[in-house]
Amino acid sequence: MSSELIMTSVDSDQEAKVVVSGEIDIYTARQFKEKLYQFVDNSTKDIVIDCSDLDYIDSTGLGIFVGALKKARLTDRNISLENIRDNIRKLFNITGLDKLFIIR
Amino acid sequence: MESRDKIVVKLPCKPEYVSVARLTVSGVASRIGFDIDTVEDIKVAVSEVCSRIISVAGSSEKQYEIWFDISAKKLTISFSAKIERINCIFEDDEDGLGAAIINAFMDEVEYCPEGKDYILSMTKNFEVISCNGL
Repeated sequence: MSSELIMTSVDSDQEAKVVVSGEIDIYTARQFKEKLYQFVDNSTKDIVIDCSDLDYIDSTGLGIFVGALKKARLTDRNISLENIRDNIRKLFNITGLDKLFIIR
Repeated sequence: MESRDKIVVKLPCKPEYVSVARLTVSGVASRIGFDIDTVEDIKVAVSEVCSRIISVAGSSEKQYEIWFDISAKKLTISFSAKIERINCIFEDDEDGLGAAIINAFMDEVEYCPEGKDYILSMTKNFEVISCNGL
């Protein structure tokens, strides 16, 4: 019954990519935050987050994306989000975060 | 407007049960006829409130209740919790993202009710489709 979240990542010569699937809410947020922040800290490239299998995100999860972007920008990097579903895109639009992230 | 049906759900102040609240609200909103996009909106709004209650509760031993009040024209969802020092649960919300989402998705939100037995109440109206000219 609990939310489930799976995060996989690839940091190669070509790309730094994170694939997130499942739900990011108050239950899964801590785990996601630790993994994402660690990935941002360890990588030296711009980061792409693939959200094609991300079913749900709440404000806690959006806050984690913002925190990760702030971390990346400390070293002049960027985070882009790709394949965002309509229901999640709507949240980015409402909160104005669509102007902060590169969404493709 | 006279209430038609009432549904009450009582949950522990634990993050792992917020998904239960989402499933419940989806079932209720869908059952009473909201379209799939609106069901999703209401679900997101309810989840934001539940998360906030858990964040400010300070103890996972506490419980909160979600009241679904169904009438012919609207769905009103109220939250109650016996948590000390809480009148406005979104007052200290730093980024304001949760309240922004709730405001966008619900038609009316009562954030800081005084003298009520709930700590937040929000309403979604059924869309009225005009048949003028048909």
